[in-house]
Amino acid sequence: MIYFLMGVGLTIIFGMMHFVNFAHGIYYAIGAYICYQFIVWTGSFWIGLLLTPIVVGLLAYVIERVLVRRLYKMDHAVQILITIGVMLIIREGILIVWGTVPKPVSIPPLLSGVVFFGEFAYPKYRLFIVAVAAFIALALWYLLDKTRFGIMVRAGSENPKMVSLLGHDIDRLFAFTFVLGVALAGVAGALISPIRGADAFMGVEALGIAFVVVVIGGMGSFTGALIGGLIVGLVQSFTSGFWPQGTNVMIYSVMALIILLRPNGLFGRA
Amino acid sequence: MTRNFPLGFHIGAATVFAFILPFVVPSEVLATEILIFALAAIGCNLLLGYTGLLSFGQALFFGAGAYFAGLMSIHLPFGLFTVLLISTIAGAAIAVIVGFFSIRRAGIYFVMLTLAFGQLGYYIAFLAEPLTGGEDGLLSVVRPSLTIPFIAKFDFATNTSFYYVTAVTFVMAFTLLQRLVDSPLGSVLRAIKQNEARAEAIGYQVRLYKIAVFAFSGAVTSLSGALYALMLNFAPLSNIDIETSEVILFMCVLGGLGSLYGSILGAVIFLLASDFFAELWPRWMLLLGLMLVMIMLYMPGGLWKSVCSLFARLSGTDDTVKKGGANG
Repeated sequence: MIYFLMGVGLTIIFGMMHFVNFAHGIYYAIGAYICYQFIVWTGSFWIGLLLTPIVVGLLAYVIERVLVRRLYKMDHAVQILITIGVMLIIREGILIVWGTVPKPVSIPPLLSGVVFFGEFAYPKYRLFIVAVAAFIALALWYLLDKTRFGIMVRAGSENPKMVSLLGHDIDRLFAFTFVLGVALAGVAGALISPIRGADAFMGVEALGIAFVVVVIGGMGSFTGALIGGLIVGLVQSFTSGFWPQGTNVMIYSVMALIILLRPNGLFGRA
Repeated sequence: MTRNFPLGFHIGAATVFAFILPFVVPSEVLATEILIFALAAIGCNLLLGYTGLLSFGQALFFGAGAYFAGLMSIHLPFGLFTVLLISTIAGAAIAVIVGFFSIRRAGIYFVMLTLAFGQLGYYIAFLAEPLTGGEDGLLSVVRPSLTIPFIAKFDFATNTSFYYVTAVTFVMAFTLLQRLVDSPLGSVLRAIKQNEARAEAIGYQVRLYKIAVFAFSGAVTSLSGALYALMLNFAPLSNIDIETSEVILFMCVLGGLGSLYGSILGAVIFLLASDFFAELWPRWMLLLGLMLVMIMLYMPGGLWKSVCSLFARLSGTDDTVKKGGANG
């Protein structure tokens, strides 16, 4: 489900604004660090989890205003290269602020331990992640499908000029969408931090996986991101049963296979 | 459109450059590295600068070349020439496979596919520990010797001798590729970059051309990876990771797209800067990120174009400056 959160942020930003965000992984990493920092300050994981998306969102807002908004009309290649630049800047910033040693985050006491389903033991914290992600998925679906904002976002992805002519502030809409997508990556980072700690280089791997999720599901498709995340998660847990080291190879192979069979992804628009 | 200089001019320029370089930069190892990465950046430029294909999997070719050269030098009794040749061909073969699948999609999907192939290669290299050494990398790579029958045998143990191996390879590869981009094939590639649908409509098999340019790019990148492994006597896993792809891409963009000389300049500047800053400040990549953003925003032609238009302005010969001047 973490994969879904990463993928959906990416896909919202791309689907809406046709903006390719190669810095997406680093927002995930900084989410983990900010969550760590709040835990250090307040001692509570919950405060960290709640405030992280807000802080990451603010950061995203600043970046959008200063830089990203100039790039919407540019070529994808330019966007990719510039967001890589942003990624480098933030990553080195993280290393300056928090040092080069990854920071451990402990699982909140309420959620440590395991739950038994008959024979199977499942860590409570992982169940919690699934629950939170499912909740976010529902909320997002409601937001995009049922609210006025969602209608505007979807209309904007079809034809931004028309939306703007109809009197809506497309500039603000874009900014908000970008912030939303990035904040989702921040939440994903905060959620994963008790499992794998905060590490400045965790973003690269996550970015790769997020792209796989999005490519499998189809770029710009919300359902696609959900299904893509599920497929990646299933492939991963299935492979780890008999070939633990080979999970990543399997994930990328599945993606190559799907691209060959369905070039637009499972739910992609042509 | 740039003028086509005669081939002799390019051979001369590359030779002079390769000859002067070791006397200008701090060490021979650094000079060797510059030539190696200049080749890798050229490989990237063929795809991005000439054909408009942004490949994120260049490290796959680079790392594959390093592993091929390393493995051959350890296990097989081949000479230097054979090792480099086979690495180059193997790189081209891998690139054809990657290219064949990747170019099924255009735009952003294409980039992601190359990224995915790169990552796939990384994890395979990571897993194939008995062969590649996994995380530790492939150790104790030996530089094969070059035997000219009945005449002499060279072993290239010193850094100086290996620099000249690299320099000769560099001049040959550079000349060949410069010839390639000046050829009709090069024009078709540029046509694809400008307007793919039009190139297709005129009757060019765009797919075949794209696969061909992948093969050339893979070949030269793999060659540079092979040289790198022989230079280090070591083929680390990091050769094949995404960061290497980024570095190669960065040199290519820094120098300027659409000119092989630009790629050389990019490699020179990047490696000199990293050599200089890495000791001063471990977080110098921050500057790199800033530089990348600035170049893409304000100097889309890269440094080489800026240098060219600067010279043109000084000598007052070039009319592109008077007309637009927007590239600088």
